[in-house]
Amino acid sequence: MEEETRRISRRSFLRCAAGAAVAGGLVSRRPWASVASAAAAARGTINFADVGVGDPGGDWSKFTGPSGWGVNLVAIGNAPAQILNVLIAGGGTRTYDIANVVGGMQKPLVENQVIVPIDPTRIPNWSKDTYIRDFLAPGKPGFDFIGYKGKIYGVPSILQGDSFAYLPDVTGPLDSYGALFDPKWRGYVALEDNYTTAGQKTALYMKTHKLATIGDPADMTPGEIKTVVDFLIEKKREGQFRVIWSSFEQAVDLLVRREVYVEDAWEPMVFAARKRGIKADYARPKEGYLLWAMAAYLIRNPARPPERERADYELLNFILGPWYGAKISLLRGYMTNPEAVSYAKAHPAEFTAAQANEVARTHANVKSKFQLGGTWQNRWPTHVDEYEAQWARFKAAPSK
Amino acid sequence: MGTVQGGAVQVGVRRADPSRVARYGILAIPMLFVALFFIVPLALMVVGSFWERAGFWVRPAFSVRAYAEFLTGVRLFVLRRSLAVAGVATLAGLVIAYPIAYFLARHVPERTSRSMLLLFTVPFVINYVIRNFAWTYLLGRTGPVNGMLMAAGLIHRPLDWLLFSDVAVLVGLITSYMPFMVYPLWLAVAAVDRRLVEASWLLGANPRVTFLKVTLPLSMPGIFAAVIFGFVGSFGESAVPIILGGVGYQMMGNTITSTLGVLNYPLAAAMSSVVLAAMLLFLAGWYLVFDVRSFLGKLVRW
Repeated sequence: MEEETRRISRRSFLRCAAGAAVAGGLVSRRPWASVASAAAAARGTINFADVGVGDPGGDWSKFTGPSGWGVNLVAIGNAPAQILNVLIAGGGTRTYDIANVVGGMQKPLVENQVIVPIDPTRIPNWSKDTYIRDFLAPGKPGFDFIGYKGKIYGVPSILQGDSFAYLPDVTGPLDSYGALFDPKWRGYVALEDNYTTAGQKTALYMKTHKLATIGDPADMTPGEIKTVVDFLIEKKREGQFRVIWSSFEQAVDLLVRREVYVEDAWEPMVFAARKRGIKADYARPKEGYLLWAMAAYLIRNPARPPERERADYELLNFILGPWYGAKISLLRGYMTNPEAVSYAKAHPAEFTAAQANEVARTHANVKSKFQLGGTWQNRWPTHVDEYEAQWARFKAAPSK
Repeated sequence: MGTVQGGAVQVGVRRADPSRVARYGILAIPMLFVALFFIVPLALMVVGSFWERAGFWVRPAFSVRAYAEFLTGVRLFVLRRSLAVAGVATLAGLVIAYPIAYFLARHVPERTSRSMLLLFTVPFVINYVIRNFAWTYLLGRTGPVNGMLMAAGLIHRPLDWLLFSDVAVLVGLITSYMPFMVYPLWLAVAAVDRRLVEASWLLGANPRVTFLKVTLPLSMPGIFAAVIFGFVGSFGESAVPIILGGVGYQMMGNTITSTLGVLNYPLAAAMSSVVLAAMLLFLAGWYLVFDVRSFLGKLVRW
């Protein structure tokens, strides 16, 4: 998924989604929901910084009612620099209680004393979440998305796996990242402008097919990332890539206008293209997926009263709860927590049968990605500066 | 202080001229604003370019490492490309904007020319991202430009280079900044005293010579102002290269943002400082070479 280039990338999509979600709340069937959330805050309001996908349509009533706490959702950017700027330079640690961003940001956030460890025993839904146990537990690669140096910092609010999109009527079925580099599609391929997605998928492909010696595609050495970028530059010089995209709309548009046939993309882009009448598919690559998760971090604030901290934990528990999970799965198309599926089916007054099926389908789809595996996106690799410098070299290299 | 008035010596203290005090007072407001919100941040940026990274932050130092990194890496190529692309876009914009400004200033009634000038603001009513995305539709392989060329039998397969190329970036830059260039050019051409043109004609010069020896030299302040509008805008542009540039087309704005993404503040500050220095040199040249009043005078009168 997303990250650091100024480009719009996933963070911008998420930010836009935040804006859209907030705006959507204003024009939705329950425009008063957000206001009600704050107004019903008999005991106070929790300030919830979010990159866009954590907003349940502005409706926090299922949390606000029982807890007596309101939720004030504030949209923030998802890039590391943006997050640090908001939470440190912008005095965000005194403003926000929880930040829900794409995970894997623990290193910069912990080392800058922005977030504190989370005590899972204070989150009853934690132990019920089999996804955490199966994919994010200590010792598993996914732990890096919520933990750091053995401690847990993030509550995994959503999970997803990325690969690439293609137009099957032109290409036929595709099942390997090799399609991105196949001369058959020369000039009809797009990559994301992001070294932790496009770069890491390329590394996964090269490692799987023994095109290079790469220890861990998720955390490459300077030599390894250079090898990957050399490979990409070679392909660029051959004219393999039409464009590197940097926003959700741009990526969808490339597929819809058939400007490209194969595209390093996120699955919601395929859904968006299909809605516009395009037959697009999302690949299940034999090399595996680029896996990622969003993490809700508890912001460090030594002056936080115990009562507010309890409320923060209640909200973290709510985020791992079934209603919230089903709602977010339905709205965003991401996997949340296992109980979301059964909850949606068991509550027809809240979720129609079609909606419940959609939630179930989303979870089954994403779960199968995690079962297949691949590589977990690393948003802050050890040699992140080298990644950025090498990616700049790729972009500056001449094209055909 | 002593003064001599009518043969008598008056001793007293010169009183402050109230109008002068008011003038300086009023002037101080924008000066303070500029100092606080422009000069101080820019000075901090220059200072920060010499600092060193310390983990995720920076610490005060005097290090030229960031400049060395910039001037020895691929980002120098980006600087050269930015200068070249902005230069070409500005030149092309000038070639298009000058005849428009000349026509509006000389051959169109003032009322009509004002309406026409107003029309040049219309593109800016549309969000620049949407404006540039419109080009991706028009210039794409399946877009109307390729469609018309193929329908006319001029080409047999879509032209790839219309989009995601230098051509597309130039189209985006020219259409974004050329309208800005029309205004100073119109002001400068309209400010040329028509009696000088008539005198040139009476002395036997043909229209071409009159233009080259009278109108063009006298409109140079406007040309330079237009060049600044076009060049500075194009040079700092970041959306056009992203949307229309194709495989990693970068200009300085993009590469500076990219380094901020990994919290490399000194490098970002060093690149920004070099850009700032280049722009200041450019402005200093304008200030030293041209009499700004000849350009601004018209503005004030208008």
